[in-house]
Amino acid sequence: MEVKARTLDEIVGIDPLAARLAEGDPLAPKALAERHYVELYRYALSVLREERAAEDAVQDAFERAFAALGRYPEERLRAMRLRPWMYRITLNVARNRLRERREVPVEEISSAGVALSDEGRESVMDVLAALGRLPERQRVAVTLRYLQDLPYVEISGVTGWPEGTAKTLVRRGVARLRKIMAVENPKGGMG
Amino acid sequence: MNEPLANRGAERTTAVLRETAGRIAPARATAVLVDQVLAGATDSFFGVESPIGTVYVAVGPDGVRYLAPAASEKEFARYYRERFGRFVSPAVSVGSEDLAGRVAAALSGERVEVPLDLSGATPFQRRVLETVKGIARGQVRPYVWVASEAGSPGASRAVGNVMANNPVPLLVPCHRVVRNDGRTGSYAFGAGEKVRLLRSEGVSPEEISGSPYVATPTTGIVCHTTCRNAKRIQPENRRVFRSAASAVEAGYRPCKVCRPVVAA
Repeated sequence: MEVKARTLDEIVGIDPLAARLAEGDPLAPKALAERHYVELYRYALSVLREERAAEDAVQDAFERAFAALGRYPEERLRAMRLRPWMYRITLNVARNRLRERREVPVEEISSAGVALSDEGRESVMDVLAALGRLPERQRVAVTLRYLQDLPYVEISGVTGWPEGTAKTLVRRGVARLRKIMAVENPKGGMG
Repeated sequence: MNEPLANRGAERTTAVLRETAGRIAPARATAVLVDQVLAGATDSFFGVESPIGTVYVAVGPDGVRYLAPAASEKEFARYYRERFGRFVSPAVSVGSEDLAGRVAAALSGERVEVPLDLSGATPFQRRVLETVKGIARGQVRPYVWVASEAGSPGASRAVGNVMANNPVPLLVPCHRVVRNDGRTGSYAFGAGEKVRLLRSEGVSPEEISGSPYVATPTTGIVCHTTCRNAKRIQPENRRVFRSAASAVEAGYRPCKVCRPVVAA
């Protein structure tokens, strides 16, 4: 194991945007939002499965993120690994919103603001619904790995799980997902 | 189930996931969503010309929060984060252009209402700043007056501290607050700058220094030297005083417009 003990810093490197934020570059906040909006939106949509709710969750995540970063001392800010950190916040926000919604009558999810064609949207939503039936840790692991395309080292940085645990969760999650999708769509065609 | 088949099934599943990922995008343009993020998560700022040179102004949802000169936008953004714990982004919205216009007008001496967000201040600081905001161009008031008007008589020194940390100088004209003896005193941007600013507003620092109060036997009233009533006193009737108390001792009563403080 010692051979593999590379830190996230060594692999990911220092984030130049963190330094720009620390130094007061007034364009840095915009650069951070531009860099991560779409991927965080994709994550939020995968959990909440409703476009407006995903937008709201990402908005909330950024507001929390900037509020926290604003109060960090310069040196701490400079050393931040912003991507996994942004993911952590988005994961929490999305999970909390999902819980809040579950306290409200089920399946009242509207489909306002549809960007995809109805057919395309339906197949995306089918996949997301299948993902939503996984146990939470497996869902998070599979989503981060294949929907978000994060390497295991970053998944570990986001979730705090050791990489081996993340890999196991992904493997089991994918196997289970395959069964769920096979049952729901016996012909195997997705969209 | 044998291994290769299981792997192939897994591969197909992950391929479906990757394909799905490629088909998820926000319904609205990213630029619009990013602007929305910045509007909610950061304050905006702009640069504007002022009597003390270029200054930068940071604006929150409720109004102007901070005004300061800085060597660069970057330096300003840094000051702002240190002081308020928030990031700033360049102002973009139409609403902030309007506010920028108002700030520019106010700084050039026009009487324009500029919304201020003083929520970062303590109640005492806010009362002091609100009081000072009301001191008109061409007038000055001593610390003791500000303290009294703000409901904390005797807190001259505390008023001085609030002035030194005024988050919105010029908009809250702390340069119009002078020492109790009428000397102009210190200023965040330099004592000389304070004198220059007051002169540009028609105030003569020499006239006030040492004689911050003026009375006239015609009415028997004592005023601050820059009070509009005091300006009407004929030169031959002017009686200058170093304190309002000494004027009262001499038989004058305080003006009801400028309300000099008669402290012992």
